Amino acid sequence: MATLVSPPPNNVTTPADEKQKVDYLNLPCPIPYEEIHREAFMSLKPEFFEGMRFDFTKGLNQRFSLSHSVVMGPTEIPSQSSEIIKIPSAQYEFGANFLDPKVMLLGRVLTDGRLSARLKIDLTENLTLKANAQLTAEPNMSHGLWNFDYKGRDYRTQLQLGNGGLFGASYIQSVSPHLSLGGEVFWAAEHLKSGIGYAARYNTDKMVATGQVASTGMVALSYVQKVSEKVSLASDFTYNYMSRDVTASVGYDYILRQCRLRGKIDSNGVVGALLEERLNMGLNLLLSAEIDHVKKDYKFGFGLTVGE
Amino acid sequence: MASKFSLKLGKVKARKKSAVTAEDDERSTIAAATKCVTEWTAWGLQKGKVITHYGFIPLIIIIGMKSEPRPSLAQLLSPV
Repeated sequence: MATLVSPPPNNVTTPADEKQKVDYLNLPCPIPYEEIHREAFMSLKPEFFEGMRFDFTKGLNQRFSLSHSVVMGPTEIPSQSSEIIKIPSAQYEFGANFLDPKVMLLGRVLTDGRLSARLKIDLTENLTLKANAQLTAEPNMSHGLWNFDYKGRDYRTQLQLGNGGLFGASYIQSVSPHLSLGGEVFWAAEHLKSGIGYAARYNTDKMVATGQVASTGMVALSYVQKVSEKVSLASDFTYNYMSRDVTASVGYDYILRQCRLRGKIDSNGVVGALLEERLNMGLNLLLSAEIDHVKKDYKFGFGLTVGE
Repeated sequence: MASKFSLKLGKVKARKKSAVTAEDDERSTIAAATKCVTEWTAWGLQKGKVITHYGFIPLIIIIGMKSEPRPSLAQLLSPV
């Protein structure tokens, strides 16, 4: 009588399996909490602009560079009514960047005196200080935010301090080689608001799925699938259970040799696309279009970027 | 009798008042100290904001001009 050889049970480790056995003490370091939706936002929320844009970056050094930027076009003014008011404006922005592996300094100043500054210093191998500030000459319109990040072996924590008594902390931990979970808490003294939120991210080589819930009423889910080396598709669902706002969007991201094309379509009736084409070494052409059929707002922009 | 009574009441009230004013004094010194500290930190933040506003970009330029390899002033000011 032939003995039936039962197939080996699933928990017998073959040599191939040994490599894949999960070492829970040696998990990879997770993505920072604020970048948890990074892949989805890169495809679905590119920087659309309206009008003409010209950026020139001059590198003086490997680490130090100056940038000049001219933007001409209509800018939106926030208005109470549902009408959109646009005023044409032209601006010149001067910037200086210093990028070192340990220290990064970025400063941009506009013609009306507004300064936007970013600072990142690696104090030790695991502790990083970041600061972000928008300063204006008008009183009480400036914002500043300090972040202290600590990176552990398989976790990250962040402490945030901002002006107006803003205080926030977040923590994210790798639970398995593919899954990481995190939470955050914030408190704004000036507006007397506080909130707590949780996030989860599951990623493999081919896909990333994230979910985020916050006590401010926001629920955000996103899914990004990397179809090939050059193509990735993303979709996003945002729901606010306090204000009953729902938005779903689907987008694509083609990274080709000479260009990068990103497009999206939204449930609010917004269709947008952004093309960055490399014409030559150091010369990039930008074409942006964002069409809002519901509000009848049509934004088209073109630009040129010179320099790295 | 009534005058003695009123005198006693007067003394008790005076003692209570003096105890209250001692507490008041302590509270007011702490309040004055915290007010002083908040005023000075507000002054410091205001001056810090003005210094950052005017000095951040010159600081980046100075740090950049001192980094290796040193760029020259002509390179900094020329538009090419």
